[in-house]
Amino acid sequence: MRVVKYIFLIFILVIMIFPLLWMFRVSLLPAGSSISLSDFISPVITFSIFYDIITSGNMLKYFMNSTIVGVTVTLGNILFCFMVGYSFSRFRFIGKNIWFYSVIFVLMIPAHVLIIPLYLIIYKLGLYDSYAALILPFLVNPIGIFLVKQYIDTLPTAMEEAARVDGAGEIRILFRVVMPLCKPALAVLAIQVFLTNWNSFLFPFILTSSESVRTLPVGLALFQGHQAIDWQHLMAGSALAVIPVLIIFLFFQKQIVSGITAGAVKQ
Amino acid sequence: MKSRRFTGWLFATPWIVTLIVFWLFPLLYSLYLGFTDYKLLNSSYSWIGFENYVALLSDHDFLLSLKNTLIFVIGTIPVTTIIALLLALLIDKKFPGRTIFRSGYFMPSITSMVVIALIFTNLYSRGGYIYLLAKIIGLSPPDNGFLLSKKTALFSVMAMDVWMSVGYYMLLFLAGLKSIPRELFEAAEVAGAGLWRKFMSITLPLLKPVILFIIVINTIKSFQVFVEIFVMTRGRYGSSTAVYFIYETGLNRFEFGYASASAYILFVIIALFSIIQFGLLRQEGFR
Repeated sequence: MRVVKYIFLIFILVIMIFPLLWMFRVSLLPAGSSISLSDFISPVITFSIFYDIITSGNMLKYFMNSTIVGVTVTLGNILFCFMVGYSFSRFRFIGKNIWFYSVIFVLMIPAHVLIIPLYLIIYKLGLYDSYAALILPFLVNPIGIFLVKQYIDTLPTAMEEAARVDGAGEIRILFRVVMPLCKPALAVLAIQVFLTNWNSFLFPFILTSSESVRTLPVGLALFQGHQAIDWQHLMAGSALAVIPVLIIFLFFQKQIVSGITAGAVKQ
Repeated sequence: MKSRRFTGWLFATPWIVTLIVFWLFPLLYSLYLGFTDYKLLNSSYSWIGFENYVALLSDHDFLLSLKNTLIFVIGTIPVTTIIALLLALLIDKKFPGRTIFRSGYFMPSITSMVVIALIFTNLYSRGGYIYLLAKIIGLSPPDNGFLLSKKTALFSVMAMDVWMSVGYYMLLFLAGLKSIPRELFEAAEVAGAGLWRKFMSITLPLLKPVILFIIVINTIKSFQVFVEIFVMTRGRYGSSTAVYFIYETGLNRFEFGYASASAYILFVIIALFSIIQFGLLRQEGFR
């Protein structure tokens, strides 16, 4: 019984990781050779395709664009989701409940339905085809606010009050007292935001057109267009998109998992 | 106290601005655009009432894309949910190698959808691994590969989607399983209950809120399927979906009014589904 279970689990595991292995395998084949299925077990490994996409073509530029946008959006979310979450958790002001319910409301809006108005707004603000178009709409997200607010709700207020009695200003309390306490929640938030942004396709695709601000997923999706598909370059570019994710996954698996299950399973 | 009230506002402004500029305004703006004949940027346009909606109801492409979206939702969600639950049950208890299986199953769901879609385009193509496998087990795959045939294109994308997302929902099920008190199982064992009996009368009822939650988020997600369709078929071979239709009419043909109207129809359909499902969730006492 135990053996049967293991065989089944391994069988599923092979199905789940084979496609990614195949991507890496194709990207490490010698340039120009036609791919055949038996290449999967071929012992030949060369980095010539990787060298090629890094030194020529636009892949490296797309990679850099994805990095710039991903890092900026992540930093923005850490700062803003923290500020807003703190405000919703600790302050009382007119309309606060309405604003907080708006977070939950937006969580349920299917964002893809809004591509037309978002495109037009970005266009009319003069931001179309710029980094700003890829960054500004995504600097604060409802899930992040929710996550931070829930976390701060569980923290005791004693330290903030002590700081306030000592005459510390609100900004100082925000960054020096509360922020350090929120590190675990902010780490979860940062990883989630970065991965989502790094993999995102639809919005970067509709909000830009030129190669100078194109992100990696968009570059990969539009790479096909030519006559015959150049699988080796395409798979090497894909590997470039996957490697950072794998590294993050390796080091922060705990945060990724708790980010996914945090909002989800709550009685 | 007054200054604290002001500080609260101040800290909340990033959200208030984002909400108004990038959520509420677009929602209202596209509702308005749906009643106009707005085409091409910087052209003038006028109010045409329900004309777009009337035209959509007899637009063959739109109806096909809606039908495909429904097939996608109804076809993938039960399969994904059942496989995810099965995997979660299999690796719920601690055993050597458990983390490896968990990570491996989960890995596809944090990989870029574009990358996954590209890899599967290769696997599904004539002479690709899946094509070959289908031949070996005696199926006759379409001559040009799975994605270039009306019969198989949409279903191939759906199968890939199930493959990609089971790991994600497995994680949610694992979290749900963890919250079931072990004593219940022990008590059932003392009473002589077998595996199946324990599953039917403890696991399944107590997982009901998680199952419903998974169905809700997967429904909202699946109704918006676009990336995989764009990368793998460009909506050809009868595989267009609702968001693909919105993209195609709005941002390829620049018929903003018409596309906005179609987006609102999809929006209302998703809202109806969500309301029904949230009603069910509430019945389960899930907040």
